[in-house]
Amino acid sequence: MPKLENHIFLISADAELYTLLKSTCSYAHWTVFERGRGAIELLFNNPPDLLIVDSRMPDLQGMELIRIFKSENVYRQVPVVICLDREEVAAGPDLAAIEVDDFLVKPLDVDESRLRLELIMARASWELDANPLTKLPGNTSIIHKIQDMLDRKLEFALAYADLDNFKSFNDKYGFSRGDEVLMMTARVIVNTIRAFAGMESFVGHVGGDDFVFIVPPDKAESVCAMLVQNFDSIVPNFYDPQDLKQGGIHSSTRDGRASFFPLMAISIAVIFNRNGELTHYGEASEKAMNLKSVAKKEPGSSYVLDRRQPSG
Amino acid sequence: MQDLYLENKNRILSVKDLPTLPAVLDEVTELVQDPGSSIDQIAKVISKDQVLSAKVLKMVNSPIYGFPRRIGTIQHALVLLGFNVIRGLIISNSVFDIMTKNMVGLWEHSLGCAIACAGIAREADLKDPEEYSVAGLLHDLGKLVSIIQLPEIKEEVDALVQEKDITYYQAEKEVMGFAHDRINAWLADHWNLPLRLREGLVWHHRPKSAQHYPEVACVVHLGDFLARIFQVGNSGDDQVNYLDKYVFKVLNLHQDKLEKAIEHLDSELVELRGFSPVATEGG
Repeated sequence: MPKLENHIFLISADAELYTLLKSTCSYAHWTVFERGRGAIELLFNNPPDLLIVDSRMPDLQGMELIRIFKSENVYRQVPVVICLDREEVAAGPDLAAIEVDDFLVKPLDVDESRLRLELIMARASWELDANPLTKLPGNTSIIHKIQDMLDRKLEFALAYADLDNFKSFNDKYGFSRGDEVLMMTARVIVNTIRAFAGMESFVGHVGGDDFVFIVPPDKAESVCAMLVQNFDSIVPNFYDPQDLKQGGIHSSTRDGRASFFPLMAISIAVIFNRNGELTHYGEASEKAMNLKSVAKKEPGSSYVLDRRQPSG
Repeated sequence: MQDLYLENKNRILSVKDLPTLPAVLDEVTELVQDPGSSIDQIAKVISKDQVLSAKVLKMVNSPIYGFPRRIGTIQHALVLLGFNVIRGLIISNSVFDIMTKNMVGLWEHSLGCAIACAGIAREADLKDPEEYSVAGLLHDLGKLVSIIQLPEIKEEVDALVQEKDITYYQAEKEVMGFAHDRINAWLADHWNLPLRLREGLVWHHRPKSAQHYPEVACVVHLGDFLARIFQVGNSGDDQVNYLDKYVFKVLNLHQDKLEKAIEHLDSELVELRGFSPVATEGG
């Protein structure tokens, strides 16, 4: 799914290579540099969506340029493609060492190159946005998905879910056991939703213990009920026996007061987009956040559906 | 001797595939091909087969899913794996040719023990009876794996059971230097099974040695005993294992409750007899 405004940066002294590449992605915005050295500053100040580097350049070696670029963490997510000729491929260069994402072999085949470049850019966007723990789509994808559905005036139910008492669990058992719970929660949400809504659903992981999912409106209530049931039945497995026995975690606050945190629970708030009522992502998420504070007030796992009828 | 021990352990842990009851496999294959099937329906069928149950638990507890050693019931495992993965797992199973008579006996014994364990756990007021049932179902998994992985040793063990009129457990120790309880420990560790389950599998012959979850080991010890008394299936010998009275203390199980557990087992077993484990159709 290439965007129109994709910015592709090519570093090559080979005019023919440029003409050919440009014909594969003519809709993108192209910047071409004939020399490696001059390109670096611009590249650092204005990183593109895709960087293509010709390995044969008069001044700086293509490999060396890529190494400089990729060794900085802030540029690592930019996909980089190197163009090699047959001779160079035969020499068996160590491409993994410079962390290049892919390569093209000269002379290029136009159709093959187009497919390859589109795929490289799409893959970079999936990988960049995925939550590093659960590998579910992250914030950028969530916002795109919701805004896209709003723009198309689709009817859907949008749910925000988070965990109660997750922090106290993390504090007592440590981050890696907290991560186990998040992995479990992600699996429970994904599978419960698929069982009801099949593939017309979407699950995203905002971060921490915050998750988002989208299902058809008529499935929302049964999904929530099943989600609560599944979560509540599985979460005790993650506690130590003594805490399980007493039904939660005893801990003391900073000022020394004792407090008790019951077993973790899941709170879900669901809003509906009916008759194209909502127009903007921000509006949808604010509505859901307000509703979630209602769900949070209930002790234990619970869900709240926004029953308000659209005005007018 | 040490070398042989290690060699046997490596052969055990290199187990690639185990036989599944054809009838169970047929039934569950049909269920996973119907998108309308519920997790509960599938869980009920998988819970009849020790191999499918073990595979499901091994998979959900693998580090890839991110919560090793946490999941001990089939129901939970299926919720976390999801329909897609379960279907993949089931359709990649094929029917083994070598489903010999004594293996079917072992199946029936394991299932009988699972049913007994669930009943005992309920009567002893233990939480989540299904966990105990899984421990009962898998308690002789080590025997099955050794039959597949060390077939030449299995013949020796069988001969010794006949010749000396001893238990399979004793014969295993004489022939191999270790028995299926040790194999269970290797498998439980290798497959990241939860500690509760591990205790039941490893200490069902010596419940006093279970340090962390003695109640699981005790339930399986008693379940194994009842399954033998009722002569459900066959676990490799005609002996009734020694019953350690320690279990009654741990489970706080008085005679009336034990009788109830036995009644429960009796009625459930009637149902089990109607379930023919080998025939794929007709029975």
